[in-house]
Amino acid sequence: MAESEEEVDVLVQRVVKDINSAFKKNPNIDEIGVIPCPEARYNRSPIVLVENKLGMESWCIKFLLPFVHNKLLLYRQRKQWLDREALIDITCTLLLLNADFTTAWNVRKELVQCGALNPEKDLYLGKLVLTKFPKSPETWIHRRWVLQQVLRQCRPCPQGAEHKEMGQVEQGQAQGAAQAEQLQRLLQEEMQVCSDAAGRYPSNYNAWSHRIWVLQNLARGNLKILHDELSSMKLWVSMHVSDHSGFHYRQFLLKALVGEITQAVEIPCAALQAATNQHCAHWPNEDGLVTATVPELFDDEMELCTDLIETYPGHETLWCHRRHVFFLWHHWRKEHLQSGGHPPSPLNHTDEMFGSSLDASLDRSVQAMDIDLAPDSGRQGGYTQDTKRLKRGPMQACPGLPSEHSFVTKILHSCRNTEQGRFAAAYRKWLDSVIGQ
Amino acid sequence: MGTQVKDVVIKPDSPNTLLLEKHADYIAAYGSKKDDYEYTLSEYLRMSGIYWGLTVMDLMGQLHRMNKDEITEFIKSCQHECGGISASIGHDPHLLYTLSAVQILTLYGNVSAIDVEKVVEYVKGLQQEDGSFAGDKWGEIDTRFSFCAVATLALLGKLDAINVDKAVEFVLSCMNFDGGFGCRPGSESHAGQIYCCTGFLSVTGQLHQVNADLLGWWLCERQLPSGGLNGRPEKLPDVCYSWWVLASLKIIGRIHWIDKNKLRSFILACQDEETGGFADRPGDMVDPFHTLFGVAGLSLLGEEQIKPVNPVFCMPEEVLDRIGLQPEILVPHPTHESCGGTMTRGPTHVYLSVCLSRL
Repeated sequence: MAESEEEVDVLVQRVVKDINSAFKKNPNIDEIGVIPCPEARYNRSPIVLVENKLGMESWCIKFLLPFVHNKLLLYRQRKQWLDREALIDITCTLLLLNADFTTAWNVRKELVQCGALNPEKDLYLGKLVLTKFPKSPETWIHRRWVLQQVLRQCRPCPQGAEHKEMGQVEQGQAQGAAQAEQLQRLLQEEMQVCSDAAGRYPSNYNAWSHRIWVLQNLARGNLKILHDELSSMKLWVSMHVSDHSGFHYRQFLLKALVGEITQAVEIPCAALQAATNQHCAHWPNEDGLVTATVPELFDDEMELCTDLIETYPGHETLWCHRRHVFFLWHHWRKEHLQSGGHPPSPLNHTDEMFGSSLDASLDRSVQAMDIDLAPDSGRQGGYTQDTKRLKRGPMQACPGLPSEHSFVTKILHSCRNTEQGRFAAAYRKWLDSVIGQ
Repeated sequence: MGTQVKDVVIKPDSPNTLLLEKHADYIAAYGSKKDDYEYTLSEYLRMSGIYWGLTVMDLMGQLHRMNKDEITEFIKSCQHECGGISASIGHDPHLLYTLSAVQILTLYGNVSAIDVEKVVEYVKGLQQEDGSFAGDKWGEIDTRFSFCAVATLALLGKLDAINVDKAVEFVLSCMNFDGGFGCRPGSESHAGQIYCCTGFLSVTGQLHQVNADLLGWWLCERQLPSGGLNGRPEKLPDVCYSWWVLASLKIIGRIHWIDKNKLRSFILACQDEETGGFADRPGDMVDPFHTLFGVAGLSLLGEEQIKPVNPVFCMPEEVLDRIGLQPEILVPHPTHESCGGTMTRGPTHVYLSVCLSRL
């Protein structure tokens, strides 16, 4: 390391510049990484751009990081002035190297606030940082802050709406549509960012809790999105049977869906409409949305869980999932199905079975479950699950304690995997002590 | 096809005795390598780093080896106009580092070195309408910050500055069906968040709101065949999670539900015999963070060469006695002592479950 301080300064400033010109040259960079290379070999930049990948040769980091780090701190202590462009460049380089440097993210928040930094550009940096540091809590935290700023911009401005002229109203509607579209794009992008990060690091707590936050803040109460998420997650969890966070997300979706469907059943239609509009003003109404009944949702989830437990023995995550799903079902059933005291009679209202709108009555959920029990129920709805349900025969119904116990017994009898036996026994104990009280 | 349990194997030649002197030397030398690239990389959490180092030194009876005046001056220069304290000079203030700073000054018995009233104002100002706490002025909400807020105030004797009832309400809204807690309502249970939430409920005297048997069960299930504890299902065991799970169990009176000897062996195996210090897992690189939680964990397990540690504040009990702070701890449940008993509910840690599967 014979480099003098001045030489290092020159080198580092070159590298910061190279990084930023790489971004200008290719605005579609989608991944960053370090290229292991302990020594500078040629007289060339350590910044390498290949297709959409930005690489940094490892030898330069030990010079680069302290330089940008100190520069930003000097600025923060008002000992050195940096203009906005320089701040954007320096924080970018810094965060690509040290994603949890909170203060650097805060500097960018200030830049967003004063309009010097486009929030979408900032989200893009965050996305890149997550390709290298998929867990980085500060990156996720910053992301939520930026999203809130964007959301604030998206919200239609209510003042003076009544006094608008005709032309303005039309303009307002066009604007509303554009905002809804922007919101939709934003939501899709966030889901993609979460999926990528979840794929890069197993049971990525920060990625999955961010995804929950996104649903809670960008799509609260939106049945269609909850449904889409639940169905698109099915394949993902089936391919990540150890990912407790991914399964927890699924449990969250299920609980949210059950809550929404139940509410839709219990609140009169008009009130529901108002509530829906209030919660998700930006979303078009999903007329004709096919909504499964609550027992159907649970039935499908338990079936998925059984399939996975039998196919991939010895995964604690799957047994935890079973606990949570059964717990939710058990309590929902207690609250909504057994209050009347007598089981509803099956087969009487078969034709009402295919309730596809939000105002499906509570009764209908009850019947759905019981119809499942009936052989040859002759269902012909549009559900893909139906085919499966028919295939597996008529006896598979929404589970209860007895069916869960026989499931455990079956697993214990047939399995040769010690872990599987251990988890099955623990599940039985859980049923006895937590559910069976 | 069978599955490999996600766990580590402890080699027979792993360390099995406590190398206290080495650890003290390791921590004492840590701060002197200030040009280190690693040191720059971790500056954003420096205040917590100092708290980890000083606390472990105090637990080992070696606090005198650290430079009290220098550290006090450093903390003073990290307090901002708003009252909050930052991780280091030139960084932005945050609740995380405000708590670390107050913990350090409590260890040294000189909280008056900073403007205490302003700290209280800062913490108070971060409470939201729903009772939750933001970590800083930018507004991120997390149950970790609820813990930081009440722990800071309790150490300063100012818990009444905030709306405690509302704060409790928020933390309880993050409780899950498994008895655990997540970072926000609806979030997954996580041993680190559980530590924060049980610690929070202890400081605010609300532990009766916890379903101790259910939570204790989930926590015990974190123990793996190696003896180490993980933070969530199917994650690898880790010394820091061992602390968070163990401390939570201690707080809710269920520490006897896990196999203490096995855990002790796991923690000891995470020592580096050459450099001193503890790593997350046997054979990995050591750091001050895991060194504190390794030593603190052994203290909770009854290691007599280490001072007794308080499970809520992760500070020596004697320090809290000095300021007259006694956070609530649930009394151990007498009926679940071993897996041979007549339990109808309770732990299913790895060994117990094996017992069950043989029935």
